[in-house]
Amino acid sequence: MTAAAQLASTLGWLALVAYALSAVLYTTSLFRTAAWIGRSATAFAVLGAVCNFGTLYARSLALHTVPYRDLLGSMKLFGFFLAVLNIALEFRHRDRSLGPFLMPAALVFLLLAVVQTTPVHKDAPELKGPIFALHVTLNMLAYAAFAVACALSLLYVVVGRSLKKHAFTGPASRLPSLSYLERANRTSLSLGILSLTVGVLLGLFWASRMWRGEHPLWALDPKIWFALATLAFYVFVLVRAHRGAAPVSTARLSIAGFVLVLLSYTAVNLLVSKLHDFTS
Amino acid sequence: MNLLFVGWDHRAAPLDLRERLAFTPEKARAALDGLFQEHILSEGAIVSTCNRAEIYGMSDREDGLDALAGFFSRFHRVDDALLRRTALSGHGDATVRHLFRVAAGLDSMVLGEAQILGQIREAHRLATAAGTVRTVTNRLFMSALECGKRVRAETALGQKPTSVAGLALLLAGRIFESLRDRKVLLIGAGETAELTARLLADDGVSEILVANRSHENGEALAAAVRGRAVRWEDRARAAAAVDLVLSATNATEPVLTAGALRTALHGAPRRGPLLVLDLAVPRDVEPEVGELSDVYRYDLDSLEEMAAVNSRARAGEVPHAEAIVEESVRKFQEWWGGLLQGDVVRGLREKLESIRRAELEKHSSRLAALDPSARAAVERLTETLVAHILHDPTVGLKEGDGSERLERAAAVRALFHLDETQK
Repeated sequence: MTAAAQLASTLGWLALVAYALSAVLYTTSLFRTAAWIGRSATAFAVLGAVCNFGTLYARSLALHTVPYRDLLGSMKLFGFFLAVLNIALEFRHRDRSLGPFLMPAALVFLLLAVVQTTPVHKDAPELKGPIFALHVTLNMLAYAAFAVACALSLLYVVVGRSLKKHAFTGPASRLPSLSYLERANRTSLSLGILSLTVGVLLGLFWASRMWRGEHPLWALDPKIWFALATLAFYVFVLVRAHRGAAPVSTARLSIAGFVLVLLSYTAVNLLVSKLHDFTS
Repeated sequence: MNLLFVGWDHRAAPLDLRERLAFTPEKARAALDGLFQEHILSEGAIVSTCNRAEIYGMSDREDGLDALAGFFSRFHRVDDALLRRTALSGHGDATVRHLFRVAAGLDSMVLGEAQILGQIREAHRLATAAGTVRTVTNRLFMSALECGKRVRAETALGQKPTSVAGLALLLAGRIFESLRDRKVLLIGAGETAELTARLLADDGVSEILVANRSHENGEALAAAVRGRAVRWEDRARAAAAVDLVLSATNATEPVLTAGALRTALHGAPRRGPLLVLDLAVPRDVEPEVGELSDVYRYDLDSLEEMAAVNSRARAGEVPHAEAIVEESVRKFQEWWGGLLQGDVVRGLREKLESIRRAELEKHSSRLAALDPSARAAVERLTETLVAHILHDPTVGLKEGDGSERLERAAAVRALFHLDETQK
């Protein structure tokens, strides 16, 4: 193992520990109001994100290409984006209620990536270059934004139910207001749609330039059609929300949309797609 | 000299009596003037709210409490026996503790309510303007305000609303990030609707619509709160277009039905949730309205349930608040003990010095026969005697905590008749 690969591994484990502590502390902060718990959760999330970035950077040095061209690398990137979006929303709105949802998700993705030791095919010159890097980065950012939208929507449903049941105490009473959750959900959906649109277009451009007719069936790859269907679904949800649909229905559709994302990321990639199976 | 208080509050005095005992600023000024003219108090201030009328002050009289009660009976022309039967009173530490508990909201009808702090501040301001606040009452009121602020900052006693208006704002806070730029519909134009509308207007809502069966009354309320009247028949459509509906009519049948609101919501696309507060008895809004998607309906029953939950939460904070009150009382005792101790030592020294001078004066003819150096030696001898006699009491008065120093100071005052000497 090279020094860079060793560094990537060490930083990966450090990020994992920080994410785990952060997830536990964020969840505890839902039930306990002591200020140090929330502050420590944030501190560990920031430390974890820094280590996560470090592991991605060290991995790119080891591979001499983008560090997320395979499934494990992309999972590290996904975990990184989840942590970063959580921190950004927390600082923007001075609210920690997304942490108990996003940090455990970031932890799971990073854990799967860190514990796996599948070697990466180093000789893959086609999986290089800024367009490919942007294609993967933007798509992973879109997935993370849809994950945030899903978390916000789950919170919306939880807060809405507690208000309907006239539940005045407990963790739900400390969650943010419905209007904030609804607005933040639309912002996350917009970010996800924009990232996915540009990411897919860059992917199509990169593929058409890469194969120049040598691989005429690339455009028929099920992953592409699934990604376009996911994009169309989210556009429909956002347009519907802007046209005045009940926020709770937007929340439910956002949760359903993330199921599509997870399917696209796992089952479609690994079982159906030939060009997005992370081994090509 | 004694620190004392007499008062009538919501626990002991019925509302009609409290109404008769209430002080307007003018009445409070007149009462303070009267108490000074009759030499009942040497300093004092009056706290008057809808739940209490209390006077705090310093009195030189042994019968200070009796004299105060008698004065109020004459001042308000209320039966003396009734006043004495319903009065709360105390002196010394009891006075300090009572005012601090009042300032903390521990003695309020709604536990922890914050309005009392403003009322105590106003009482202090009024008495200062009248010139009746001096060293002790000034310190007493400033310490009470500090204690009240600490209780609100360090406990959750005042953070859980229990009033209808406070609960309405709390619910609005769980649904909306802010009431600024929100639209409100008032159904009904009675007192409740008007009071809540004014509260909401203060919170920065962007538009207030008023729907009332009598359109003229609705227009009058709309004009008073700078809102807009809508026709009674359009109330469901108006409800679908706003963020918050507040209904408080005297109607015996529901004035907002689930069917009408559902139809209106279908025709009026909206982006956010709708909060419906039904403050009427019998209820104005059908319970089924709460089952509509993104509509959150609360009636007086649910608000009372919420108030009970908050009251329990507030009650859990009482021990913490009481501990802050006790700490504040201790600080005041220490200050007052120091004050009295200084006063007593000075009084004692003056008394012994006057005795020394009187004795020297009495024997002046004999002393005149002595040569100057012998006269000076006698003078020094008497001075040394006084200094030695004063030494132990002076040290003893500085020892112990505030209460002990107060007790010792009181004993020295009584044994040496210092009060008579100082008069």
